[in-house]
Amino acid sequence: MESLSALALAVASAALGMWAMVVRRNLVWKLLGLNVASGGGILFLVALSHRTGARPPIVGLGPGPAADALPQALVLTAIVIHFATLALALALVIVLTEHRHTQDSRKLEER
Amino acid sequence: MMAVLLSALAFGLAVFALTRKRLLWGVIGVGVHSLVLAALYLVLAAPDVALTEAAIGFGLVTFVYLLALRRTGKLVVAASPLYPLLYAEGERVAGLEWEILERFARWCHRDLELIWVPRAEILRLVRSGEAHVGAGGFLPNPHDGVVYTQGLVPTRLVRVRLGGGPIGAVVGEPGASWLGSDGKLFEDADELARALSRGEVGEAVTDLLRWREWETRDLFSGAEATLLPGEHRFAFALNPEDEELRESFAEFLGELERRGELSELIRRHLG
Amino acid sequence: MKLLLALGILGLVGILAVGIAGLWPRADFPDPDPVARGWRVTNAVAAIVLGLRLWDTLLEVLVYVVAMVGVRFLLVGLHWKGELPPVSETPLLRRSADLLLGPILVFALYVAASGHLGPGGGFPAGAILGSALLLLALAKGMERVSAELYEPRLESLEYLAVVLLVFLAALVLILGLRTPAAFVTANLLIALEVAIGAWAVLHRFSSARGEV
Repeated sequence: MESLSALALAVASAALGMWAMVVRRNLVWKLLGLNVASGGGILFLVALSHRTGARPPIVGLGPGPAADALPQALVLTAIVIHFATLALALALVIVLTEHRHTQDSRKLEER
Repeated sequence: MMAVLLSALAFGLAVFALTRKRLLWGVIGVGVHSLVLAALYLVLAAPDVALTEAAIGFGLVTFVYLLALRRTGKLVVAASPLYPLLYAEGERVAGLEWEILERFARWCHRDLELIWVPRAEILRLVRSGEAHVGAGGFLPNPHDGVVYTQGLVPTRLVRVRLGGGPIGAVVGEPGASWLGSDGKLFEDADELARALSRGEVGEAVTDLLRWREWETRDLFSGAEATLLPGEHRFAFALNPEDEELRESFAEFLGELERRGELSELIRRHLG
Repeated sequence: MKLLLALGILGLVGILAVGIAGLWPRADFPDPDPVARGWRVTNAVAAIVLGLRLWDTLLEVLVYVVAMVGVRFLLVGLHWKGELPPVSETPLLRRSADLLLGPILVFALYVAASGHLGPGGGFPAGAILGSALLLLALAKGMERVSAELYEPRLESLEYLAVVLLVFLAALVLILGLRTPAAFVTANLLIALEVAIGAWAVLHRFSSARGEV
């Protein structure tokens, strides 16, 4: 039940983020859409690592079976990389705005 | 149960954030969405991921967006000076329109950059999108190819008669429609004033504030001024393609008016 | 265009749904406890990040550093033109930043150093540290803080941390070193690297800005 609702949210977030990335014309809005979509992807993996009544993958922390540690370890680095690439993308947006005076993707594609 | 609630909340926040018009709201919405996701990870038995998401997704990412917004969201204002509305006071810029623009920039989290250009150049810059806002005593003219905000300060057109000769007006201003067949158009009001004092034109059509400025500078002492019919209002010129800016400017001005600050500002600057 | 978009999103949802159907509910679930015990720590996630899949983490840190270098490279020619607004002094924020900075620093160190025992690790610790520095900048004005804190030496410290991390990884991967001390050191180095990278980026983004 828990992981099912989280999986549903993950799929919905990914779709919502993709929608925003396609429909929104401002580059920063596209990045915000990417943010939400990547959150969906991360949540997808975390939800897959969970099972009913699971405890965190730490030895001796409560009863019950442990959640899978591998997807959690993978998304840990994904979050950090997301921050780094986001900073790079925003730096590119800053440079573009300085040179072209617009953040509208359609106008940027014109020339 | 907790996970279902948090999922619903996170989805609601994501929808809220991505359907806003103002970028600031989007950034704040996505930040809070990240925080809710962190709580959800905690419920899903992933405390490491939750801690990382809270520290990076909520903390650093939001900061980096806000800083980038300040740098990219520069609000370029192209303007020509007109005394109580927008003028340079030593190193500083002051005036009613400047104060409104400063408040608007703070309201939408952007920085102001002002460039002084002649009136005709303002229109070109605003139309091409190189400047976001045209300011400095703009009287709306439907043939300009730009859109205008709501009118701020009412004014009238004035016909200044100094001697015989053709009529002069500033290009693009509504006064230009009063020109006869031999009328002359000028790039901005200072050129018009110079031409009038040199006798190149005998009459000039301008607005009440400009005329008052000329009077206080004692430029044309013997001139006779007649008010022309019809009321005009000073407004800001905006790029017609920038719907986002137009909507947020209208929202901001509406808010300012509702709180009564607009009339207070006008009273303070215009007396 | 709209149709294409709808089809694309539907396709994405479909792929994810097929993925869910194949992956969930999962029949076999590996037990992470033996992995953690094998690396002589209690947090299985830390055992995977800094032990079993250390290569991933190492390259990920490299990606982070390269991205930060890219940000510096992109923004190096851009300087803020025009006059800067004066820093608005907010005494409450400044006082609370002074009071909070010490505890936040200690907390970040704790999160980094206890990453192999419980939730935590170098990445969140570095992010907490970076956020704390930004809080300080928020309260005192970016220029004053970056004048005191932002020196090229700090950047070279970041590269030094990466080099040390590579050496440590060589010890773990080649010589088979399996001690909690290696985990603590690696977590502290990662925290240092993430914090300096984040601080440098935030500094670049707001260079010559009076307030955040």
